[in-house]
Amino acid sequence: MPQVITVRVSRPHRRPIRLWIPLVPILLVLLPVLVVATLVATVACLAYRINPIRALGTGWRLLCATRGTRINVEQGRTAVLVGIS
Amino acid sequence: MNEQRRDILQMLAEGKITSEEAEQLIAALERESAGSTAPGADGPPKPRPKYLRVVVDSTDNFGGDGPGRVNVRVPLQLLRAGVRLASLIPPQALGQASVELRKSGVPFDLSQLKPEQLEALIEHLDDVTVEVDQPDVKVHVFCE
Repeated sequence: MPQVITVRVSRPHRRPIRLWIPLVPILLVLLPVLVVATLVATVACLAYRINPIRALGTGWRLLCATRGTRINVEQGRTAVLVGIS
Repeated sequence: MNEQRRDILQMLAEGKITSEEAEQLIAALERESAGSTAPGADGPPKPRPKYLRVVVDSTDNFGGDGPGRVNVRVPLQLLRAGVRLASLIPPQALGQASVELRKSGVPFDLSQLKPEQLEALIEHLDDVTVEVDQPDVKVHVFCE
């Protein structure tokens, strides 16, 4: 499972912004919302005749597979980097 | 390999070769098969690519800011997980989508697309390289 999201924004004539966002504490804080969202997703899967366990498992696999993603956009002297590790 | 061994034994049975010669031939066959299956026999094995990279270089000067560059690296595991997600789509939804595609002039049946075929496509992505060269933009898609 990805642990940290890194965001780095470099702008000309300004100090660069660096953010390290730890995912596990944020998920713990948002746990009640996640539980409600999971229940809603389960009901939606049942309504559309999709196996909810398979759907949740696939969603979890998708989340875990994002580890190693890097997106880097540069425009002139402005650069934005988002990394998931 | 079993066939070659069988041929050797056949020649021995027919008296075309002696038992010592048969033994030498079988030993040579075994050495050859051990050498071809050993790692690095044909050079170091090529590591499997793990990421799909998309690099876009633009020389356009957007609003005077200078040239732009987009560099995206996506794990191939994410593509595989996405393929599994596509397999969750119910068949009736696939049928409706295929009907709409046909109405738009695209005679493609989405229900014929199997997850195994998509996985096989992803498995062979390591050999795919796409390069687009335009005067003001270059796009490079590859696996690493």
